[in-house]
Amino acid sequence: MTSLQEAFTKARIQWDKLQDSKVPIFFVGAATCGRAAGASEMLERLRGYIKAKSVDALVIEVGCLGLCYLEPLVIVHKPGAPRVCYGNVGPDEIIAILENHVLGNDPCAQWALGKVTAGELEGIGDFNEHPMLRRQVRRILRNCGLIDPENSYHYLARDGYRGFLKALEIGPGKTLEEVKASGLRGRGGAGFPTWRKWQFCRNAPGETKYLICNADEGDPGAFMNRSLIEGDPHAVLEGVLIAGFTLGASQGYIYCRAEYPLAIHRLELAIGQMRELGLLGENIQASGFSFDLTIKKGAGAFVCGEETALIASIEGGRGMPRPRPPFPAESGLWGKPTVIQNVESLGNLPLILNNGAKWYAQYGSESSKGTKTFALAGKVERTGLVEVPLGITLKDVIYDIGGGIPSDKVLKAVQTGGPSGGCIPAEKMDLTVDYESLTEAGSIMGSGGMIVLDEDNCMVDIAKYFLSFTQEESCGKCPPCRVGTRAMLSILERISAGEGEMADLDKLETIAQTVKDGSLCGLGQTAPNPVLTTLRYFRKEYEDHIEKCRCPAFVCSQMISYHIDRDRCTGCGACARICPVKAISGEAKKPHVIDQHVCIHCGACLSTCPDVYAAVYRRSGELTRYEARREKRDKTN
Amino acid sequence: MKLTIDRKAVTAKKDETVLQCALRHDISIPHLCTHSHLSPFGACRLCVVEIEDMPGYPTSCTTPAAEAMVVRTDTAALQNLRRNILALMMLEHPSACLICGRRDLCEEYRPVAEKAGRTTGCHTCNNKNVCEVRTLAEELGFCDLPIPPSYHHRPVDRSNPFIDRDLNLCILCGRCVRICKHQHGTATIDFVDRSSKTHISQAFDRSLLDAGCRFCGSCVDVCPTGTLADRYAKWYPKPDTITKSTCIFCEQACALKLEANKGELVTARAVNEDIPICVLGRFAIPEFLNSTDRLRMPYVRVGKVLRETQWKEALKTTAAKLKEFIGDGFMLVCDTTSTLEDRFVFKKFTRKVMKSKNYIEIEPNYRGISLSSLPKGTKAVLLTGKFVPSSQLNGLELLIVQDCFGTNVSQRADVVLPAAIFAEVNGTILDGSGQKRPLHKACDPPGQAKAEWWIISKLAQAMGAKGFAYRSAGAISKELGISKAKLWVKRDQAPEAAQDLERRRTFFRGHRICEKVFALRELPIRDSSVPSRAVSKRTDGFQILEKYEIAPNVHEIVIQAPNVAKKAQPGQFVIVMVDEKSERVPFTLCDWDAEKGTITLIVLEVGQSSRKLVLLEAGDRIDHMVGPLGIPLEIKQYGTVVLTGGCYGIGAILRIAAALREAGNHVIVIVEGRSHYKHYYKEKLETVCDELIQTTIDGSLGIRGHAVDVVGQKLKDGEKIDCVVAVGCLFMMMLTTRETKPYGVKTLVALNPIMLDGTGMCGACRVTVDKEMKFACVDGPFFDAHLVDWDELRDRRVAYSAEEIHLVGRTESVAPYPGHGDNCRCLR
Repeated sequence: MTSLQEAFTKARIQWDKLQDSKVPIFFVGAATCGRAAGASEMLERLRGYIKAKSVDALVIEVGCLGLCYLEPLVIVHKPGAPRVCYGNVGPDEIIAILENHVLGNDPCAQWALGKVTAGELEGIGDFNEHPMLRRQVRRILRNCGLIDPENSYHYLARDGYRGFLKALEIGPGKTLEEVKASGLRGRGGAGFPTWRKWQFCRNAPGETKYLICNADEGDPGAFMNRSLIEGDPHAVLEGVLIAGFTLGASQGYIYCRAEYPLAIHRLELAIGQMRELGLLGENIQASGFSFDLTIKKGAGAFVCGEETALIASIEGGRGMPRPRPPFPAESGLWGKPTVIQNVESLGNLPLILNNGAKWYAQYGSESSKGTKTFALAGKVERTGLVEVPLGITLKDVIYDIGGGIPSDKVLKAVQTGGPSGGCIPAEKMDLTVDYESLTEAGSIMGSGGMIVLDEDNCMVDIAKYFLSFTQEESCGKCPPCRVGTRAMLSILERISAGEGEMADLDKLETIAQTVKDGSLCGLGQTAPNPVLTTLRYFRKEYEDHIEKCRCPAFVCSQMISYHIDRDRCTGCGACARICPVKAISGEAKKPHVIDQHVCIHCGACLSTCPDVYAAVYRRSGELTRYEARREKRDKTN
Repeated sequence: MKLTIDRKAVTAKKDETVLQCALRHDISIPHLCTHSHLSPFGACRLCVVEIEDMPGYPTSCTTPAAEAMVVRTDTAALQNLRRNILALMMLEHPSACLICGRRDLCEEYRPVAEKAGRTTGCHTCNNKNVCEVRTLAEELGFCDLPIPPSYHHRPVDRSNPFIDRDLNLCILCGRCVRICKHQHGTATIDFVDRSSKTHISQAFDRSLLDAGCRFCGSCVDVCPTGTLADRYAKWYPKPDTITKSTCIFCEQACALKLEANKGELVTARAVNEDIPICVLGRFAIPEFLNSTDRLRMPYVRVGKVLRETQWKEALKTTAAKLKEFIGDGFMLVCDTTSTLEDRFVFKKFTRKVMKSKNYIEIEPNYRGISLSSLPKGTKAVLLTGKFVPSSQLNGLELLIVQDCFGTNVSQRADVVLPAAIFAEVNGTILDGSGQKRPLHKACDPPGQAKAEWWIISKLAQAMGAKGFAYRSAGAISKELGISKAKLWVKRDQAPEAAQDLERRRTFFRGHRICEKVFALRELPIRDSSVPSRAVSKRTDGFQILEKYEIAPNVHEIVIQAPNVAKKAQPGQFVIVMVDEKSERVPFTLCDWDAEKGTITLIVLEVGQSSRKLVLLEAGDRIDHMVGPLGIPLEIKQYGTVVLTGGCYGIGAILRIAAALREAGNHVIVIVEGRSHYKHYYKEKLETVCDELIQTTIDGSLGIRGHAVDVVGQKLKDGEKIDCVVAVGCLFMMMLTTRETKPYGVKTLVALNPIMLDGTGMCGACRVTVDKEMKFACVDGPFFDAHLVDWDELRDRRVAYSAEEIHLVGRTESVAPYPGHGDNCRCLR
């Protein structure tokens, strides 16, 4: 144990030194999301500048703070001043911050989001009081964006591996008790009590047991697991150790999709560091517990997030689910008792062990304890990765954390749970975020996707979008899922093309019910949820499409016709020039006309018509929609 | 364990599933992907049940039976769910015929299967007699598809020996994949791709052969649909007898289940379905025994020629000749593939009748070849196979060949006696370990071929010997003291040849097996002594300019034929010979362009000749064509004319409609197809008629039903129809006739009997119209439908179905497939 203890001591010293650093430090959010937003270019510029000008400064790449809409994010440490977090930092801004704030006296308050550490700085408030963070409870994400994920000492200094040591101390039985007391439920979507799954596995006969960490995050637009792994890989791995120890597993697998190269890289690094620290291998920390870890890269099939398909994939077979029973906890990988846990569930374990079940359960509702991360996206002012206590209302998430709907539009619905979830209508925004109430509303908690929809979202289109995803991702084994999803999709396509009949709605419901009741695995059983919930809450919108041949949100292109207002059009000819099918004609400086027989509804004319004229308007059924005339193009757009 | 299924108290055995337990107690639960030899898979979802205290609808095939379980299998909700699941499954399987009300009549009027194309309905399906999907559909009362079905448009995979794979029929039950894994440890085939593109294939889409398939045929045996088919057996009618016997192709002596139809061997399968047998046992036996090279009659040499004769004559002549060689100058050579009974008689004959000690019994070596040279001093020989090269036969005074195939050895014989072998006889053989195994007669020998013991016994009797009055092989067994031999069913390992294709026998009694079973030549260890035939590119004949498959099996072929195009008139046809050895087949002239000098044919791929034609590509040439033939349809002012077309008829009525309309008629075109994907030419037809109505049996396009339903409705509604012209299959034309007859509406049909020369010489296309004999080629093709003798026409069309079945097996195995060059042997 000495080497780990030594490491703790060294880590403490290194961390303390970092806090009081005498040289400036730039903590650059360079996870995949930051890089996508331009962090790489910014880093290159920053490093180039530092090198060229021989500035004495450190640059540390950290994970994501979760304020995606403000990426790239940088926390700047200036000796003697509180650390400040800046948002939307491009290459120019970072140099400006370096020159004006770090080397000068101007804290660049115009880009500052808040102070990360105590102290006064003119014009800059507390980062924790930032509207997006104020209502959040960041526990799992506590280290993300603040520590260097590639430096194990940073994690150790922040109470890393204390939870695992606690588990070793109290033994597997009591660890299980602790997890049971915490009320932790699987964060992968279904919300099965973690302790119960463990109990089954522990009770299953056989010496060899396996633990699998499911990092095959596949929902479109979901990135909770990726962010956690990229920002704080050791937290997940400590969870793996705790679970493995409790189960008596000898081998663990991390099943991570190959599309997450940075996450895999960081996991590989972290696993190497664990070996050095004596946290993997034979007789870990002289406890008698031996455990090893292997990363298995998945090829990116959504269905491989399903437990039995994931197991088949690790075994080298086709990622195809098999019926249960037997459950993996009795007979899983290679026929041995196996527990599969989601990344976030595992990330919770160190917290539970380190702080106690009671501390953990102080947040949450009756049946859903703790916090949950969500990828907040869609028509909301502030998008990003948020962590909220379970039991919070949807309204709080959308309005308090998300800042409401942009451009004064009206909230229509919230889609949770990705393609397996459903749409919850605006009038149900008082719904609390917990497993039961979301299920009751027809949706699911899922792994944490939360997409906000406003009046410009067509619900038929939304259902079509998610269904086309599940349809594509069906493994093809059972007909309800393989054919049923395609059948529903083709009906939806028919409806959105204006060729629907009222009988289609009954057909949709029948097929949806068949797919739900008849499918083999979770993918199929939940695939109709987007259809069923939109039908349940937004039936009128479907009826509008069918009976009135109109799309109230002006999304379904086949139902929209484009027209030019004679009074507004000045005959500038911009639309005629861009029209790909030459459907627009007219003399110069005279109002133009769109030939409806030729038009392919692409909308190029609408987006080309200068805002000052806004002469192109749309019709869908008897609905007409004009664009607002503006003197100048709004910069934010 | 005690549990309740449908209020019935039942007892489950250990490790039994709910489904197994229910079936054992005669409680039926629909199921499809489950198979008695395979572990549960849970894919088809049809065996769903309700179990108290279990959420949802668990599948009974995967749920273990448990104490005190309460199961319901027959609630309305379950039946509804199953029906809905089946309906979804049927969206990817040609299912129109499952819901067609006229299926029985259709099958009566179309008894010959369409043998070469893709299957788009039950009547063209090789599996219809044993189809599990069809049985299920009937059980569940399936009658409606929620949306139009989709057809995958995948080409039928004929690139492998023995096995045809039509993935358009596949319902992805996974039985083939699982049995392959079960039989061989690893599967050659697996699921490929996902969502609705999921299909069964080999890794990297290699051929079965390249993927290591051993052709044990287990996948074909378990397939519940017509997807996987034994190429040779698939078009035979359902077997009427099943006999268990033993394979004599090698000393492994596998137990076989031999299926025959009307005395003709159709299929051989393993008795023990759990252990695979080799490619010879599974696929080669029927084709080997039914080979056209079999000796059917005795022959006796008269001067330089072998003359066909009757047994009585043959035996008398042989006996007389043999009498001159009594003593050691006579020799009888046989091998151990003859039964113990046969060999006993051979020996007894040699020793007692011929008084010779030269009875030679050879052991076939591991390839099955058993060559021997004749010892000096031999004057007369009786061979039961091609054991001696013909070059060694010089100097013999008498050669008697008693064999199953004619060879260059039998060509030199003085007497040739046709022998019955293998599945055609009863008897006992010894396997490699010396155990006795039974042979049971499963089919009739060809022609007058007789069991070997019979031939030699009769010969002995003809020579005046006593003690050869055997009445059956059983009588000889008795004399030999052979107790009842047992089939070797309970073996625990597959025979070598089933694990490794290279271990299979290549000879049987000196006959190369692959000379009789063509597809074997595609397997490893190709026989280099078999010459390959070079394919020549023709430069004469008629060039195909364009060719498209416009609907499954329906090909539009544009041919350069200026002289035909110049003279063609609506309703006429041409006769095409694809190559010098092909049949002459008539095709209706669908369209023509006198200026360009082209004609367009709509070719429906149904049999071996049309298959040959559609295998050609644009740029290729057909050997021979004659036309235009037949009397054109009389184009005049009828008033309102209804044209109905189906299959090729949709295209064939194009110019007829145009001409009738030009003549001032009100033209209504009604075209039918089983499903939406069977329709074509909508745009073209719209331009030549006043009203176009499309019908489908499954309602996926236009009106639900047959074209005749629309005609019937119009007549019932009192619409004025002056003339009906029907072009399509016999069934469709006959139906139309029945419908219009009560109303007395003039009805013309374009008859399509078997036709050969097309000029009124051969008489093959004879039809009876108004009790008068007519030739469809020169008197037709159009006849007054109400006067046609439809039943005679139906019976005449199936006259050559047996021959066609034989031929198709051969045609398909020589079909070229991508990747094969000009020198490929399969083009032989």
